[in-house]
Amino acid sequence: MASYKAPLRDMRFVLYELMGGDALSSLPGYEEFTRDLIDPVLEEAAKICEQVLHPLNRSGDEEGCTLENGVVRTPSGFIDAYRTFSQGGWTAIACDPAYGGQGLPKAVNTLVEEMICSANLSFGMYPGLSHGAYVSLHGFGSDELKNAYLPKMVDGTWSGTMCLTEPHCGTDLGLLRTKALPQDDGSYRLSGTKIFISAGEHDLTENIIHLVLARLPDAPAGVKGISLFLVPKFLPDAAGNPGERNGVSCGSIEHKMGIKASSTCVMNFDDATGWLIGSANKGMAAMFAMMNTERLSVGIQGLGLAEASYQGAVAYARERLQGRSLSGAKHPDKPADPIIVHPDVRRMLLTQRAYVEGCRALGAWAAHSLDIKNHHPDAKTRQDADDFVALITPVIKALMTDLGFEAANMGMQVLGGHGFIREHGMEQYVRDCRISQIYEGTNGIQALDLVGRKMPAHAGRYLRGFFHPVQAFIEANMEDEALGEFVQPLAKAFVRLQQATGQIARTGMAKPDEAGAAATDYLRLFGLTALAYMWARMVQTSLDKVDGDDGAFYRAKIGTARFYMERLLPQTSGLFSAIMAGGASMMDFAEDAF
Amino acid sequence: MTTINKVAVIGAGVMGAGIAAHVANAGIPVVLLDIVPKEGGNRNAIAEGAVARMLKADPAPFMSKGAAKLITVGNTEDHLDLLAECDWIVEAVIERLDIKQALYARIDAVRKPGSVVSSNTSTIPLENLLAGLSDGFAADFCITHFFNPPRYMRLLEVVGGAKTKAQALAVVSDFADRRLGKSVVRCKDRPGFIANRLGVFWLQAAVIEAIDAGLNVEDADAIIGRPMGIPKTGVFALLDLVGLDLMPHVIGSMTQELPVSDAFHRINRPVPVVEKMIADGFTGRKGKGGFYRINREKNRAKEAIDLTTGEYRDQRRADVAAVKEAGRSLAKLFDHDSAHGAYAWAVMGPTLAYACALVGDAADDIESIDEAMRLGYNWKFGPFELIDQVGAAWFTAKLQASGWPLPQILTLAAGRPFYRVENGIRQVLGANGAYGDLVRPDGVLMLADIKLKSSPVLKNGSAALWDIGDGVACFEFTSKMNALDPETMDLLGKSIRRVKRDFKALVIYNEGSNFSVGANLGLALFAANIAAWTEIEAMVANGQATYRALKYAPFPVVAAPSGMALGGGCEILLHADAIQAHAETYTGLVEVGVGLIPGWGGCTEMLARWQALGRLPKGPMPAIGKVFETISTATIAKSAAEAQELLILRPGDGITMNRYRLLADAKAKALALVDGYQPPQPPVFTLPGATAKVALNMAVAGFQRMGKATPHDGVVSGALAGILSGGETDVTETVDEDGLLDLERQAFMTLVRHPDSLARIEHMLMTGKPLRN
Repeated sequence: MASYKAPLRDMRFVLYELMGGDALSSLPGYEEFTRDLIDPVLEEAAKICEQVLHPLNRSGDEEGCTLENGVVRTPSGFIDAYRTFSQGGWTAIACDPAYGGQGLPKAVNTLVEEMICSANLSFGMYPGLSHGAYVSLHGFGSDELKNAYLPKMVDGTWSGTMCLTEPHCGTDLGLLRTKALPQDDGSYRLSGTKIFISAGEHDLTENIIHLVLARLPDAPAGVKGISLFLVPKFLPDAAGNPGERNGVSCGSIEHKMGIKASSTCVMNFDDATGWLIGSANKGMAAMFAMMNTERLSVGIQGLGLAEASYQGAVAYARERLQGRSLSGAKHPDKPADPIIVHPDVRRMLLTQRAYVEGCRALGAWAAHSLDIKNHHPDAKTRQDADDFVALITPVIKALMTDLGFEAANMGMQVLGGHGFIREHGMEQYVRDCRISQIYEGTNGIQALDLVGRKMPAHAGRYLRGFFHPVQAFIEANMEDEALGEFVQPLAKAFVRLQQATGQIARTGMAKPDEAGAAATDYLRLFGLTALAYMWARMVQTSLDKVDGDDGAFYRAKIGTARFYMERLLPQTSGLFSAIMAGGASMMDFAEDAF
Repeated sequence: MTTINKVAVIGAGVMGAGIAAHVANAGIPVVLLDIVPKEGGNRNAIAEGAVARMLKADPAPFMSKGAAKLITVGNTEDHLDLLAECDWIVEAVIERLDIKQALYARIDAVRKPGSVVSSNTSTIPLENLLAGLSDGFAADFCITHFFNPPRYMRLLEVVGGAKTKAQALAVVSDFADRRLGKSVVRCKDRPGFIANRLGVFWLQAAVIEAIDAGLNVEDADAIIGRPMGIPKTGVFALLDLVGLDLMPHVIGSMTQELPVSDAFHRINRPVPVVEKMIADGFTGRKGKGGFYRINREKNRAKEAIDLTTGEYRDQRRADVAAVKEAGRSLAKLFDHDSAHGAYAWAVMGPTLAYACALVGDAADDIESIDEAMRLGYNWKFGPFELIDQVGAAWFTAKLQASGWPLPQILTLAAGRPFYRVENGIRQVLGANGAYGDLVRPDGVLMLADIKLKSSPVLKNGSAALWDIGDGVACFEFTSKMNALDPETMDLLGKSIRRVKRDFKALVIYNEGSNFSVGANLGLALFAANIAAWTEIEAMVANGQATYRALKYAPFPVVAAPSGMALGGGCEILLHADAIQAHAETYTGLVEVGVGLIPGWGGCTEMLARWQALGRLPKGPMPAIGKVFETISTATIAKSAAEAQELLILRPGDGITMNRYRLLADAKAKALALVDGYQPPQPPVFTLPGATAKVALNMAVAGFQRMGKATPHDGVVSGALAGILSGGETDVTETVDEDGLLDLERQAFMTLVRHPDSLARIEHMLMTGKPLRN
């Protein structure tokens, strides 16, 4: 079975070297988050992920969840692991100290999330969904609701869910039908059915707090008539402890391709008591607050699985002796060379590595921007950071999950037949990763979000947060003797991205189908260019350290960057051609002919 | 009498004073008289006060402050003898027959023989006005009905009586057309004439139908507005604008004068809600509020009247599914199965039918009715054009199905359109049932007509080149708002080459509501947002090169703006050999409003204009100072006359009062330049360099200290100062055009990278207003 070792060295590189040592502690409210405080957090997180969560990954997958008499049982070991996890304070790290949280910067929390996803994605779903519910409730709930529910959600005693999807509507939430009837006491009665509810029912916590999208009787049609409600599994009693059972139950659980230890439930609401979160008919705003942070988190899932797969593949490629190097035996003392000598195996391993480290850096940029958005003293800087997060969120979600899946698949390929069988756990990463391209808005929806909403918003203002720093970096470093080698390919990809952006802005305004036809390729072009920028910056950070104590690390960094620029970034050329060809070949194709 | 050289207006109320101001705008001396105030004191106080108020009013009745000097004020007791010098005497006093008639008798006693006397009455029939007056007076008398405000409203309704001399009507009409720029529509002596007769019917129908159907005013305005090319003020917001209390006057006259068979009586009934509003002083924007108001006691909340209760409530956003679902099809809207669809038809069906009924009653022909509604009520389409949109046959059938009596002209049309194009010529259905060509008056040339009968010489998505005859080509902007983009520049470059080969002269002109709002800012901002600096610099350089090619082309170029000519749209004027401007031209270099400077030669050309003027004190600084002041404050000339003051128009440039005559005038000007044409000599500048820059920057710093300039104003002005001072130069050297254009381009590129400039552009695009950051 694959083992997992948290990539703390690279995480520290991103956090302290690439972002800058005081990038976090210089923000008001974050003064305490210096390296002295963050390092132990990362090390403890690594420990619980490696020692508690990862050992349950494969057994959880084999065993799955079971539903009996409305009760969902998680796989063996999950209850104990969850207790260790919540008692260790890990449900609280990213939460508001006012409700018992630890208020860790997003940039740090994102790295912890990555470790959890690498170690055991299914397990991570439970606290992950709770956090989504926490974000909506914290942002939009009344003080009364927040005081009653947040402390227990933060300390992990209670968990949370987000109930959006219904049998007939997922992407198009305007169609949803769950009803909420106002009661005299200010509460509501909810009735309806929700599907695909992750962590909807389980045995890890004493209560489950559902956040449910529903319609009021007089609500306008479509998305403007949707409200958000809090519906607990058990209604809290006078002392705030779980009391009377509410009218919410799990009708069935789904049988899935992956994340089998995560319960995916059909939830029935039958006159269930609930309370309004935020204003009537403004549920989509509260939901999107959650959705945007969740989309970043899902991107991190792709990264986490790719990292785990990379580790498994490298370990195997070093050990597996088979045949000889094409250029003659590299290990004549052994009966055969390890397969790591082969160019194609190296191609796969370096592809995984280049994507993983590039995505980690990109994710940190977004997470750090969120910290700036929430804590920077200057309003304009906060606005700029918010713009950038809005722009990069769909890119991160789709790019990191698509590349994560590609990387997980390559990792399995490195093992050949041994990757295909369950024993090594490599095929599980592929299966577990597959959902990340689908949920929280499919990657096709992410691409539409990018070209249809984010690109035209404020006459393209969001784009500035990416294009300006990259252009400035290129102008400043293009001629640099050592760095130029990496900046020049970045500049080429960047010009393609600029031209494609202009093309889509021009044609997409008159013909929305053209923007739609370009969207997925454009998002990938954007993402690969963003990774090129991250790689060039990582080289810049590494160049003068290659002869130091940790020289090997930096030389590997630069080597990976060179592989990325020479072997992966040229994909942008093909994507550019595809985008510029337009969508006629798809849209002119007769519908009957499919 | 064949020409009008002096005019008198009696009555210095809003209309009378406005008419006098507009006569002065035309450069004609005018006497403005009103009564002696009852309370004593200055005997000319009323007329003097009116002129003083107009000098401060916005929108301005005067096209330039200087025009006010052409008005001689006085009173009707001491100065009636001044009328003896006037060729046209306009009466605009209170709408009382006895007062008007007494005045006419006094006028008749002093006026010069053959002078024309006209009344601006909107409610009293000409026949009644003339009762008891001599035939000699009647021969020189007519009604000239101006619309408010007289400078801006282009409609003039003219009514002659049975005894009015044709010559008198012809002289006044010609003067109103060429000198005042009005579109003259001849009306019969019927109450409300054409525009108000139909307009009041329409408004009254819209009010009572909205009340009957229980509609709210927001929805009503959203229906009887934009979907039919009617201004977005619709009905209720329009009534607020003109004043609810004006309606009863015209309604009263129509009620009294129109025969019982007239369809007006079908919709004419008291409206208690409105009567109460008027009684309580809620007469519209000039009163305490109207159908809409801003409630100052409730934190300036926007409110609207509930038509059922008569009480104010919070304003709502109009939500009319019928309009959305009908799209651009008016027929679909009229047929929409909803209260809103029914309302659209209940108002517009009878209104359009009433327009039909006015043929032969209020007007001789349908085009007069269409023109009256287009220019008097700012409808984009006249009623007969609207009927053509839904189809005369469809309209006739629906009208019959609604049980509304069928007007004769509809029967005559028998389903045929009211307008058609035959062999490239627009024709109209006459009252006799036959089509006749629409003939433009002498001296009117419309690009729209040329487009019907020919194909463009060159064309792309943003511009076109047309052959307008006699060897003259016309370059037309065709993009949205006539914004200038790379395609415009591309076609302008191609056009210059084509005109050089195939034509004698070029006119730059179009018939959009605005000549050009300047460079396409959305495109520029998007390019800036994706850091496409190379492309932006190419756009600037290409614009400079194209405008220079225009300036030095081997043929004369005349630019003929009307409406707004801003930024790059102003810069193209500056590169023409001559400008023939419509009087209502609003032009200026407004780039600093979006954090930029004129980069297509605007700074250079303005400097050249002021340097060449020769009426400023010696040395380079006075011209630099003038140009700096004009550009750094984004000064806009609010008329062609003001553009002369800013030197955007030079002494040889012309002004056309009548919009319809602009192209013909511009073409004539271009042809006059053809013989012996020589392109201009490139200017050479002697500029002080750093010392001037320091001086200008100090001035800006002063404004900043006084709080009159924002931090980013300082940055933008600094860049402008760098150009106008000549950059790295001093008075011992000269700077040529190339040098200044390079400075313009560099300054532009610096500013377009500045986040505060980008914030200004974004704010302008999103809100239409400048950001003061």
